[in-house]
Amino acid sequence: MTPERFTRRDVAPAAWRGEVAAALADGWRFAGLWAEAAGGDGPALRAAFHRHGERLLLAAPAARDTIVDLVPAAGWDEREAHDLHGAAFAGHEPLRALVDHDAPTPQWTVPVEGRDVFQVAVGPTHAGVIESGHFRFHVVGERVLHLDLRLFYKHRGLERAAEGRPVTDALRHAERACGADAVANAIAFAHAVEDARGLVPTPDLARARTLLAELERLYNHLNDLSAICAGVGFAPGTMAFAGLKERAMRLNATLTGHRFLHGSVRVGGSGLAISAPAASELRSALAELRAETRRAWRELQFAGSVQDRFDGVGVLALEDARRLGAVGPAARAAGLAIDARTDAPRLAYRELVPAVPEQPGGAVAAPVEVRGAGLPVGVDLLDELLAAPLEPSVAEPGGASRRDGLALVESPRGQTLCAVALGDGGVVDRLHLRTGSYANWPVLAHVVPGNLLPDFPLINKSFELCYACADR
Amino acid sequence: MFVLLRQLQRLRRDAALTAPRRRGSLALRHIDVGSCNACEHELTAVSSPYYDMARHGLGIVASPRHADVLLVTGPVTTRMREPLLKAYESMPEPRTVAALGDCAMGCGVLGDVAALAPPLDELLPVAVRIPGCPPSPDAIAAHLLAYLHGEEPPA
Repeated sequence: MTPERFTRRDVAPAAWRGEVAAALADGWRFAGLWAEAAGGDGPALRAAFHRHGERLLLAAPAARDTIVDLVPAAGWDEREAHDLHGAAFAGHEPLRALVDHDAPTPQWTVPVEGRDVFQVAVGPTHAGVIESGHFRFHVVGERVLHLDLRLFYKHRGLERAAEGRPVTDALRHAERACGADAVANAIAFAHAVEDARGLVPTPDLARARTLLAELERLYNHLNDLSAICAGVGFAPGTMAFAGLKERAMRLNATLTGHRFLHGSVRVGGSGLAISAPAASELRSALAELRAETRRAWRELQFAGSVQDRFDGVGVLALEDARRLGAVGPAARAAGLAIDARTDAPRLAYRELVPAVPEQPGGAVAAPVEVRGAGLPVGVDLLDELLAAPLEPSVAEPGGASRRDGLALVESPRGQTLCAVALGDGGVVDRLHLRTGSYANWPVLAHVVPGNLLPDFPLINKSFELCYACADR
Repeated sequence: MFVLLRQLQRLRRDAALTAPRRRGSLALRHIDVGSCNACEHELTAVSSPYYDMARHGLGIVASPRHADVLLVTGPVTTRMREPLLKAYESMPEPRTVAALGDCAMGCGVLGDVAALAPPLDELLPVAVRIPGCPPSPDAIAAHLLAYLHGEEPPA
């Protein structure tokens, strides 16, 4: 393959807004914004954009003006850059606290006033096996008027901890940002480092990583369907899909020795080897899983009481999905045909077409359909990838090396950006991970108002976002 | 729905789970203090048809007030320190703290010192340690059952 075209444009703080506006007008799509420690006063600022496999990195020596009016999706990015790195953004008013938990309540909530308005505070701990995060619902009766999210309870400072470490160490930090999206995160990191070092994967390496990414997507989507059934109290569906997920995870363990495929992605190569008999065994196990998943999925389609609950709840409008930068199944459910897999020359996807439901409407039914319809496609892809045995493989030189590397990978939850800056001796100066969950959390907060409070668990599960990789 | 139930019935037969031989139960309250979400996946799987921990008397409860065991996942972030201590204070005596996974045990923790609180061991009395990254559903059930029946933890 030829490496993606990469442009780094250094801009003065005063020209930042203009450059961003010009990039958007040129058809570039926003992929993330972050701060990087610099020698002078305050941190330097970076923003990444993509356009048909091309990458653009805007770099300013300091932050000055906000871009949230141009790119609403950058809202959380700017708030995080402020809270963690002290970057200031003129015009981002009010710049609400995001990661900073010391801020008093009025500084991170939106005032909602009126007759009979009251707040329902939920979390950080929840009544089941759920990650930690806080939701502040402003309601009248059961109708939600506004939702304030307060995440980052699980902030472990992984990005900062990775600074100054060799690439192999930093890989673990990126991977373990999320247990369930570990492969996507690790591939994104490996791609970013290889991008910076001017390495490109051989076809075998691309195949090995695509295989791992699709195995991860398979068990995640089975898990999501199980969770959505739990969200409407449909126990047979919850258990049937939990059983199917377990089988997918056992296949992972057989193949890589780890149920979550942890540790199976490396930088610069892959140790994954699959012999011809092992590949054919795996293919027949997947075919069996595909058939049973299809049966269970069909049953779900005909469970009237379940489908009733999916309808008209948690609607994400296409225009909002585009404006707020929704990604992954949530965006596709709204009719936005975006999928980082269609633009992935470093992986072996070839002619993948993003699955958009027949009737995109964004209600809970649509993301459910995106996952359900995506399952057989994913298994067919796995079957194709396993058509030949796999040998350990490496990345080979294919371009010039530089300090910055960018990568975009489609995780089960959506497009994940990994940005690295490599320092002297191959250590990581800066690692930034903007996962699909991170992009979609603000979208979820936008979708919930207007719905009933008791429908929140269902809406939440239709997005099925991860807290760990948003908090890092 | 009947297809799903038949599928589950067949699954149940294939899984060939053993019948519990002993009595007793533990009410478990899970709290995530900074995990990567893998331990949560495996803990959820313990209730799935392939493991079905309920048959051994192990169940997840919705409040620390109903719990015998506080099942902790993750390395304790500064921001989860207080909710963790509050959850423990809310539990009735006798109460037990179980560290689920390597992070909660303080092993191989990744993260920035400034974002992490002291390890669980230094904050609360930990009685059950379930190693693994993440521990498998079998291992989670085995450690909790060993504790329930006063046996040595599995090697």
